[in-house]
Amino acid sequence: MDGWIQILVSGLTVGAMYAVSTVSLSLVWGALNVLNMGQGAMLAAGGYIAYTAVMSLGLPIPIAIVVAVIVGALIGGAMYFLIIRFMIGKEGFETNVIVATFGFALILENLVLRLYGAYPLRQPIGLEGGWYFGATHIPYQNMLLVVVSGVLLVAVGYLLKTTQLGRSIRATAQNREATELMGIRISRVFLLVLLIGGGLAAISGIMLSTLTTLAPTMGYDPMLKAFIICVIAGLGNIYGALISAFVLGLFEVSIQFIFGVRFGFPALLLLVILALVWRPYGVFGKRKTERL
Amino acid sequence: MSHGKAVLSLSNIVSGYGSQSIIRNISFDIPESGLVTIIGPNGHGKSTLLRSISGIVRLQSGEIYFEGQRIDGLRIDQIVSRGVVHIPQGDMLFPDMTVHENLLMGASLIRSRNEIAERYGKVFVLFPQLEERKNQVASTLSGGERRMLAIGRGLMTGARILLLDEPSLGLAPVVIEEIYKIIKNLNDGGQTILLVEENVSRAIAISDHIYLLDDGHIAWQGTGEELAGERHLMEVYLGA
Repeated sequence: MDGWIQILVSGLTVGAMYAVSTVSLSLVWGALNVLNMGQGAMLAAGGYIAYTAVMSLGLPIPIAIVVAVIVGALIGGAMYFLIIRFMIGKEGFETNVIVATFGFALILENLVLRLYGAYPLRQPIGLEGGWYFGATHIPYQNMLLVVVSGVLLVAVGYLLKTTQLGRSIRATAQNREATELMGIRISRVFLLVLLIGGGLAAISGIMLSTLTTLAPTMGYDPMLKAFIICVIAGLGNIYGALISAFVLGLFEVSIQFIFGVRFGFPALLLLVILALVWRPYGVFGKRKTERL
Repeated sequence: MSHGKAVLSLSNIVSGYGSQSIIRNISFDIPESGLVTIIGPNGHGKSTLLRSISGIVRLQSGEIYFEGQRIDGLRIDQIVSRGVVHIPQGDMLFPDMTVHENLLMGASLIRSRNEIAERYGKVFVLFPQLEERKNQVASTLSGGERRMLAIGRGLMTGARILLLDEPSLGLAPVVIEEIYKIIKNLNDGGQTILLVEENVSRAIAISDHIYLLDDGHIAWQGTGEELAGERHLMEVYLGA
């Protein structure tokens, strides 16, 4: 019984982190057709910026987080201004952008490596303590992560569903040319989505670093997981991605708990293969390539 | 030929994709409140012409003036904001959005809530069927309803000129009848319209002036009555 509660707690926490980073990836892909290979490096950068804001600048933790999110959004903006802006509407956009964002990731990762070194650092942000019922222990940290992720996801959902900006983002995903014919400046949508995606990546990086440590390559694993979740959900399907993130988080943690840590990732990949055999367009995807 | 002052003027425009020209030197004017129709066989540049005006396709040479100001070379959103509104072939609705959301997308450029509400009301007066389907997702609409939504969405933008690309495409004759009644109503109310149509008999009945587009240039022009008299043209180009 206690074991299962522990699995549930860890699974939800892992799922919450996957969800934020997946939504970031999925939003950028769904609306812009940009498969952002820079996601992992942006995650790591977010964690490090929060670290610097607390340790070097001495900012209070909530402000440090806000600073990290803003800088994360600006990194997304930089990606737009330095790379993507020049590729919109050109032939081979989807492929070129994968290569270009990967290059962006290498630069960003090496910048972090240069500034902070390869040695893992401890993230100063976090909550001590937790709830104890008998042998079961639920750290406050985990609860906070689940709550923060829930709030963020609701906020993104609200933005997409009810605001004019959200409608423009969804419209861009569904028919880019028609969106332009409505008088929407498509380059602005690109910029805004990358700003939002960058901010979400930063939060996801901070969340991750509070559970492990800061390292320049820390973002690759969650990025890979986010890809897997997107593939299972159907790339660009945000609501599907959300559900998949939590289900896969629980699944991975359960496998790790029952069969051992080393079986977690292979089991996840097995699930992807099965899911793709069953529904090649994603579990939540539609046969037609409609997104968001 | 044209009464009233020209709202839209095309002057020697050449356009196409890559280095290939599909529109080869076309000039004409559309008068205020006029209804001008472009007819011609498939694949001879009718849609490309509309796409060139709305800025989706860049001109290779020539000039386009709207209300006296040059608009070629502007971004699509800038052209739309002047009031040149293109309702593309095949509707291009936002399939996963509701009718309501699709209409709001049409009003993207309008800041005043009152104005949005007013236009929204007008669209539903024109298309009462859409009001019943307000909260339905666009992909679940019938072909006729989709066409109505595409036109309604275009009207939400506050068009000074409507560029309509084949409004009869893929519809049943009864529905075509209905759509054409609405196009005529809009024009009678003063709306300037540039219509592209394959369905010649419908179009000539309501047009002030007709241009026959053949291989990227204008092969013939005149009124509907004049065209009906041109048996040779009707047979060769229009298979009628």
